[in-house]
Amino acid sequence: MKPFGLELSGVSKSYGDAPIIDNISFQVPEGELLVLVGPSGSGKSTLLRLIAGLVRHDGGEIRIGGRDVGELPPAERDTAMVFQSYALFPHMTIAENLSFGMRARGVERGHSAARVSEVAGALALGPMLHRYPRELSGGERQRVALARAMLREPELFLMDEPLSNLDAQLRVHARAEIVRLHSRLQTTTVYVTHDQSEALSMGDRIGVLNRGRLEQLGTPTEVYHHPQTLFVARFIGTPAMNTLPVKAMPPDHVGWNGHLVPIPGRFHASLDRRDDLVLGVRPEHVCLQGSRWARGVTPSEAMTATVDIVEVAGDQTFLELDVNGTLLVTRVEPDFPVKRGDRVTFWFFTDSLHLFDPGNEMALAAGNGL
Amino acid sequence: MRRWRTGDGIFLLATPLLLSTAALVVAPAVVSLGLAFTEYDALSAPRFTGLTNFRMLWRDPLFWTALRNSGYIAVLSVPLRLALALALALLLTPPRPFARAARISAYLPSVVPDIAYALLWLWLLNPIYGPLGLALQAAGLERHNLLLSPWGARRSIVLLGLFQIGEVYVVLLAARRELPAELYELCVMEGVSAFWTFRNVTLPLLIPTIVFLGVRDVAWSFQSTFVPSLVITEGGPEFATLFLPLYIYQNGFEYLRFGYASAMTVAMFILTALLVGAQVALLERWGTRQSERLEPHPLHSPGGDTIPHGSPR
Repeated sequence: MKPFGLELSGVSKSYGDAPIIDNISFQVPEGELLVLVGPSGSGKSTLLRLIAGLVRHDGGEIRIGGRDVGELPPAERDTAMVFQSYALFPHMTIAENLSFGMRARGVERGHSAARVSEVAGALALGPMLHRYPRELSGGERQRVALARAMLREPELFLMDEPLSNLDAQLRVHARAEIVRLHSRLQTTTVYVTHDQSEALSMGDRIGVLNRGRLEQLGTPTEVYHHPQTLFVARFIGTPAMNTLPVKAMPPDHVGWNGHLVPIPGRFHASLDRRDDLVLGVRPEHVCLQGSRWARGVTPSEAMTATVDIVEVAGDQTFLELDVNGTLLVTRVEPDFPVKRGDRVTFWFFTDSLHLFDPGNEMALAAGNGL
Repeated sequence: MRRWRTGDGIFLLATPLLLSTAALVVAPAVVSLGLAFTEYDALSAPRFTGLTNFRMLWRDPLFWTALRNSGYIAVLSVPLRLALALALALLLTPPRPFARAARISAYLPSVVPDIAYALLWLWLLNPIYGPLGLALQAAGLERHNLLLSPWGARRSIVLLGLFQIGEVYVVLLAARRELPAELYELCVMEGVSAFWTFRNVTLPLLIPTIVFLGVRDVAWSFQSTFVPSLVITEGGPEFATLFLPLYIYQNGFEYLRFGYASAMTVAMFILTALLVGAQVALLERWGTRQSERLEPHPLHSPGGDTIPHGSPR
């Protein structure tokens, strides 16, 4: 069997009594681009440094390409890291920055120069080789950092928020560039970001981290459409999913705000064993009467709300609805006629509703009530 | 409540410093500049003598001895002090057991009052009952009195200056801690040796700070010799530790030649200014080239602050 590109089993790290990384296990097939995403303090950067060996793990096993690297120093783990600040030496030219590892290891000068110009050519850095980092734009510096990692030809790329210092427009462009580079090199990559939209758009799979725990690991589609925990539901997607406290109304409804909300059939069996639940509704599944984007049919008992905030986003318009004091976010097509204070009629698109247990904050599994 | 403008607060806060500087530094400096052109014994009124004092100075062999001695200290002491402070700063940068205590104790000798510090060294260096002499005796070696030879006395002055590097070291410690941790993480990941990292990363990035501290230290070394040479060696033996500040003091307060002492002060001031000016010019030409390449490094992610294990400093 082909070994995994990266395999973590039961990896833990704590500083004093505070666990930073709490028993994390996952496998990354060779050649995959895995994005680890989480808010600041979730442990994602620490996890990356545990894999790199910059921080020593307390327990568990780390394998890269099938090789147990837990006791190896960082340089022998066959990884290359792209840092958030790019970690370019300000007093060295781009060429010197690129070749510094080879120079320090005593690689023959002619050979290292050839390798540098080869990789620099691939990333269109050729004309910049004799400039200093300060003379380059953010995007160019980021490419230098990538090129330097590529020069190592590692088994595993580790990228620590490499795009977070770029401005928004450039960031979207650079995302595509990294994805293209990855599909060309086919090197296993672990990419860390706090930006969930970056994670959704780049990852073959996404791992969502929260307080040192891996909340969910799956494809972008799985994570977006089937969040396994309340945290994932709220963290992935902009605007965030509406999470509403509801009462179970067996056999097939939940009660919210004086309304009966029908729920998908797969949850029916779990209803009679519960009382309090959390209903998750993505903004696109709050359907406004009269909107072309509304899905499903108008139910017999539609709900009404007052439009509180209208936020134009160009290709769509976000609305904050006031439903008897509860706020609900939805979106409509840009030319939908609406203004603050309007009364609107809405319903939830039943098929796409989510239910969570407020106790353990886990999604209700379909079919059973556990 | 009245809103304070920034200016108000700054002047209020600076008032004690401005007043004391004016009274204790600026005013005496102006007076001594004036006295440099007079003959004055503090008993009768000063008498204007033009450039006579400076002409005498030029022909005074002891002035040249003192100047040479002061230069000798600067040349020997400044590089040693910088090297030692840099070593201490780098050694105490990573979190280690007792690092805090070590950082503080490295600074402590610098806050001991100069007179007390000099008296302490007088005891340390005493061949009969000083710990150094006793240690030499215990080791079966001859008890040597360093202070009795010109060679030993000058080096003793350098030696005691080596422990008063608190300020230099604190600035270097701060400068080192400002360097981005990711640069060092990168070096660790590339498997670069600690010495290579020091030589090619740490040192070049700290050079602007080191040069600045060097300039400051030259001025410091001229002045700092006063108390030890007065208390420990009294300028001897054989004028080996006669430094400019001591010679100025002797002329003024022992021989009551305040005019002559003032002229010497002016000469020392001009000399220091020239030296510092030359260094600053050098620093500007070469330091700006360095610092232009530097730029504020972006904030690190929470994980970015962790110190990699086995990382070179």
